[in-house]
Amino acid sequence: MNRKERMEQQRQQERLEEVRDALRKRELLEPGISMPGMSRRTFMHKSLMFAGGVAGLSTANLWLPIINTFDMAFASENAEGGINNFRFAWISDTHLYPEDVNTRFVEKAKRAVDEINALDPPVDFVVMGGDLAQLGDPVELRLGKEIMDELEVDVYYIPGEHDWYLDMGETFVDLFGESPWTFDHKGVRFIGLDTISRAPDYWSVTNMSPEERMGHMAGLDNSVTGPWAGLGRSQRDWLESTLNDWDRDDPVVIFSHNPLYEYYPPWNFWVRDWRETLEILRPFNNVTDFHGHTHQVLYNEIDNIRLIGMLATAWPWPYAPEGVPPMTRPMTRVDPGDHFDGLGWDLMTFQDNRVEHEYMMWRRRDHIFANRPEDNAVTKNPSIKLQPRVADRMWTGRYRGTD
Amino acid sequence: MNKAKTERYRVRHLMGLGALAGAFTLAATLVFSGVVRDVIGPAYAHKEHHQEDELQIFEEIFMEYVILGDRLFHGDAELEEEMGVNLSDTGMACAMCHPFAKDTNPHEFPKFQEQMGEFSTLAGMTNWCIDNPNQGEEIDVDSEAMKALEAYQYWSHDGSVLNPGVH
Ligand SMILES: [Fe+2]
Ligand SMILES: [Fe+2]
Repeated sequence: MNRKERMEQQRQQERLEEVRDALRKRELLEPGISMPGMSRRTFMHKSLMFAGGVAGLSTANLWLPIINTFDMAFASENAEGGINNFRFAWISDTHLYPEDVNTRFVEKAKRAVDEINALDPPVDFVVMGGDLAQLGDPVELRLGKEIMDELEVDVYYIPGEHDWYLDMGETFVDLFGESPWTFDHKGVRFIGLDTISRAPDYWSVTNMSPEERMGHMAGLDNSVTGPWAGLGRSQRDWLESTLNDWDRDDPVVIFSHNPLYEYYPPWNFWVRDWRETLEILRPFNNVTDFHGHTHQVLYNEIDNIRLIGMLATAWPWPYAPEGVPPMTRPMTRVDPGDHFDGLGWDLMTFQDNRVEHEYMMWRRRDHIFANRPEDNAVTKNPSIKLQPRVADRMWTGRYRGTD
Repeated sequence: MNKAKTERYRVRHLMGLGALAGAFTLAATLVFSGVVRDVIGPAYAHKEHHQEDELQIFEEIFMEYVILGDRLFHGDAELEEEMGVNLSDTGMACAMCHPFAKDTNPHEFPKFQEQMGEFSTLAGMTNWCIDNPNQGEEIDVDSEAMKALEAYQYWSHDGSVLNPGVH
């Protein structure tokens, strides 16, 4: 074992002790007793054991709320009767090109749809979490609708940036309706947000064509588009008024394309007004945000709010250069030779006012998460330094597949 | 004397640039067949101390390749055509899985590459990705396009510690 490995091991050991201390303080763990065994159902909580770090997030105020969830999640399994027992599913980031450009993306979107249709008992509804299309092309969006229409239950849509910036949402809204929206289902308030349509105008000054505007937006690491993810004042006001009449202890589930916290702004792995947004949600005691866009396994908690990153069907993004939120148990590195690997859809189960989430990851059902640094691509090589692009601001070309 | 030397670099560099623009094929033929090298002659490296503008030209040449590499890496169909390569037939670009070139890990090569089942250089792995996820056509490891792709990936990782062979 070399020095680096010893340091890493020591760091993980210290982190584990910290967690044990936190658990003891909450009387969830007797001194001297080791952590309970792991199952898929409890993975979120065990994620506490894994080191990572995101600049600007303090671990101190993140420890205790998760213990709460831990507690409640288990309590719910023992509770008698069900207040709201049902399931729903999520598909997002299908990034469909026209079928003649890429058949794999089509194949994978269809696989998710088929698997959800095969569930027994069926889900109550499905959420499509955005980035249905790759370049906002009406051909792609209509193909997406065709595929999603095969689902045998209701589908609710929120937009992703790839759906929007060719015609500024015209086709998307035409096919799938406006966002934000809200509905109540079996005692749960569901809210779908639009986190993508309020980009600063980066196209007028340089007279970009719609294709060029979309081309820049389609590059995750493109800096021309700036901090485009956000709710905006009017939507935050709408969110606040929507929750006005809702009991503070009743469950709220929010769907957003982008995560509602600051994970990695250069790739818009955030919404720019996340502080203000979380402030609106803070009074509520049972809030979960399910988000797309990041194409990877992510878990975070901020105060009473749980924030969970969902799988893509098209391709996985790497973890951010600065690491993952401390509560995230990182996913296993994907095999680029297998175009299903690390991808899939998500299944949520509501039971007694708690929502439980499960990654329906293709090829990896039994080893979604990775313990060894060599296997998870986060702590793998601490000597990496990365710098942003150089050609994005001089590039006026078009992405492949646009012509 | 130094002026002349600087001028020589500039000419060589302009030849390089010309090759990358429109008349790519013709210029490339000249360069690779050694005609240009024979006419201009090899650089007399390190016989004299460098002038500021010479160093600047070296840097400019490097950044030219980085920028070309950045564009290829992010999927620029026009540039691919200009350079005579086809890096993808699926609409996938390298940067779709590797924003900021993350997880390309150029500082870890050469190493045993599991997918390939063999010991590989960065260029070898780049070609594997062009061939497999992208379903494009592999490129010559000594080609201008590969030099550019390597330049971009290395530049993105500037300051990383060399860690060859690590999985
Ligand atoms: Fe996406
Ligand atoms: Fe997105």
